[in-house]
Amino acid sequence: MNMLKTILAQINKMPRAALITIGLFLALGIFAPWIAPQDPSAQNLLDAGGGPSAAHWLGTDNLGRDTLSRLIIAANTSLVSVGSVLIIAMTIGILMGTIAGYHRGWVDDLLMRIVDVGLSIPSLITALAVIGIVGPGYWTMVMALSLAWWPMSGRISRGVAVSIMSKPHIEALRVLGASPWRIYFGHLLPGTIGQVMVYATADAGTAALAVATLSFLGLGIQPPTPEWGQMLVDALPYLESDPRQVLLPGFALTAAVIGFNILGESIALNRIPKPLTRRMLALRRAEVASWGKENSNA
Amino acid sequence: MSVNRRTFLQGTAGAIGLAMAQGALSKIVYAQDAAGTLRVAIAKPAGNLDPQSHYAIWAIQDLMFEPLVRYGKGGQIEPCLATGWEIEDGGKTLHLTLRQGVTFHDGTKFDATACKWNLERWMGLEQFSWMNCSKQFQSLEVIDDYNVAVHFKEQPLALMQELTYTRPVRFLSPKSVDADGKFKDPVGTGPWVQLSADDTQSVFEHYDGYWGDKPTYERLEAKVIPDARSRVAALRAGQIDLVGGFWIAPLTAEEGKQLESDESVNVVVDPGNVTLVMAFNPDRAEALKDQQVRKAVSIAIDRAAISKVLYHGYAKPAGNIFSGALPYAGTQYDAPARDAAAASALLEKAGWTGSPIRMKDGKPLTLELVVSPDAVPGSRVIAEVIQAELKEIGIDLVVRSVDHASKHTDMLEQKYDLGFFLTYGAPYDPFGSIVALCLSTFHNDVEGKLVTDAVNLDPLINAAMVASGDQIQPAIQKVYDWLRDNDAIAPLVYVPSIWAHSKRVQGFASPITEYDMPYENIVLAS
Repeated sequence: MNMLKTILAQINKMPRAALITIGLFLALGIFAPWIAPQDPSAQNLLDAGGGPSAAHWLGTDNLGRDTLSRLIIAANTSLVSVGSVLIIAMTIGILMGTIAGYHRGWVDDLLMRIVDVGLSIPSLITALAVIGIVGPGYWTMVMALSLAWWPMSGRISRGVAVSIMSKPHIEALRVLGASPWRIYFGHLLPGTIGQVMVYATADAGTAALAVATLSFLGLGIQPPTPEWGQMLVDALPYLESDPRQVLLPGFALTAAVIGFNILGESIALNRIPKPLTRRMLALRRAEVASWGKENSNA
Repeated sequence: MSVNRRTFLQGTAGAIGLAMAQGALSKIVYAQDAAGTLRVAIAKPAGNLDPQSHYAIWAIQDLMFEPLVRYGKGGQIEPCLATGWEIEDGGKTLHLTLRQGVTFHDGTKFDATACKWNLERWMGLEQFSWMNCSKQFQSLEVIDDYNVAVHFKEQPLALMQELTYTRPVRFLSPKSVDADGKFKDPVGTGPWVQLSADDTQSVFEHYDGYWGDKPTYERLEAKVIPDARSRVAALRAGQIDLVGGFWIAPLTAEEGKQLESDESVNVVVDPGNVTLVMAFNPDRAEALKDQQVRKAVSIAIDRAAISKVLYHGYAKPAGNIFSGALPYAGTQYDAPARDAAAASALLEKAGWTGSPIRMKDGKPLTLELVVSPDAVPGSRVIAEVIQAELKEIGIDLVVRSVDHASKHTDMLEQKYDLGFFLTYGAPYDPFGSIVALCLSTFHNDVEGKLVTDAVNLDPLINAAMVASGDQIQPAIQKVYDWLRDNDAIAPLVYVPSIWAHSKRVQGFASPITEYDMPYENIVLAS
């Protein structure tokens, strides 16, 4: 019950609009196949570019497919691909970071130099190189982006791991004769995962944008799977004659990216201790003053 | 200074007014600057203009360099630098009578010596053996100042047609090369002289000493605008006068449609003579070895809907490898109408059963279609349409998008089950595409092969290649009949040639080939 209260209190501190946007994105992404009113790949060429109607609430695209259904299914595509990218990237990153943070010395130096090399190359360039070698496709894209993404979480994990390792309770564990496995799996890894997860939220927006970019370039998700970046590039020739086709996926993508960024920023800021308000300061002073009184009374 | 509502509204209205006035004024300024100048959009810089190299925009070379004979409407051979030609000795000798009074831009006389120098720069060289006349070249004889005879080992196929090509056949001044014989300056006999060229534009002025009808305007500017939307915007803003052409600065059907609603622009659509054809690769996809499967795929495609919706009605559904606009195009059949029931029945008969994806011997009927929107514009969307249509008959079509370079590699290495090909169009077709894309013994290291069959198809093509006179039509018809009877290929649409021009351009007519610049009939309104 207390845990639920803590979570609710944490959520309450976050910006509402971003929370609702991301909540909607997650809900659409998870339940897309049941929510989508029509088959997103069903074409009706003679109905191509149709405006909003009772049958198609947001109209149809250049091949007569239901735009609403495609937007919803695309949320699922983005959620699954972004989720997969972050899970793979963070698994690699956290493993490398915690091993470096735990072991220190030459292992730390070696792993961090590898991370430095990864960080020095722009992530999209790395992804493009991998796709160029392996060839375009859904899972190639996920692997390519994961390879491009892990160094960042590796760097953060190492920082977090080093700070955890220098905490008194770890020293106490060592003195008490805890095994390295117990320290690593019981204390270091859970503590690091929790903290690095926070940064993943902020990264989700960038990853969603990278997925859309690769699909926009024709290197990511292949047809007929709907994806916002793909929908944008398909609609681009109709920018003038039917801007709706471009605006809708563009809006969905923008909302998801901004939502993730604001949310990630707010979580990160919430973790930094804020200066005390005047009221709080006055209360604390009063309390400290009362200690003196208590002492003198004694 | 404080800003109240009134000042704000006045300021905003003023800014909007200024912006509108600027737009209108810029149009007037552009128009004034352009008096006597035709401004054409090109998608990339003109490149190395040496007629013997393969990098320049054909249409820019066409402005300066002329051939012996021109490719006219319907494939008629018309005189240009040669006023007469006779094929003698069973097709092994070509007797040319050269035009008198022609000079290159640098004042050099065009005569038999210049003609010999030019022809010997490429005829008989291995590099140009893809041209029959070069492959069969034996010797060249100067009879007098204006008469030349070219001797061949065997009668070259489509000789006169080959002599209309842009490269390597067009004529360069013998003085425009350096001491090593390497190309130096683009100096031809054509109506336009190049004044300057860089990565932003190529500028030409008309050649006063031109032997033929001189253009009615003085300058021609080819402006480099790589982005298609920017070209359309430039045309609307009055910065350019003419845009279009498959190899110059292509306009999509959607852009053409959008421009049609613009009163300051005219859109000209020509049915074109290039065909978009789907190739089957039975060597990779076992299922496609069965003619019934190939036919099922072909008749499951709704060519009429593709033409109507994706090409906005500008394209015509294709029932043949070549459109009737080309010579020797053969009997013209209507495009097959979509018949999903018949396609399904064919697949059932071929042993592919079940749903949603048909199976045979435990294997699903999955085919891979390789597309490259860079190489064949609009092909990805067409692939998506075909994907949905084949899904209806139980074929799982996987669309793989690749870049331009990978498309060529994949096609050459036959890494596809289904693929798109574009025929070469006039003046190369029908023989160009038939030989390069369908003859198994012809070495083609650029596009790959549309279809090959060394046993059945090669003899038919070879017979057509050696036919002459009245025998050509029936011989090549046998090739077309074989392709049709075996469902060896699936022609989809005849790709239209779309052009758009400003109202100051009058008398515009689409070029006869996609390799020419359509400057000839244009008159600029003041």
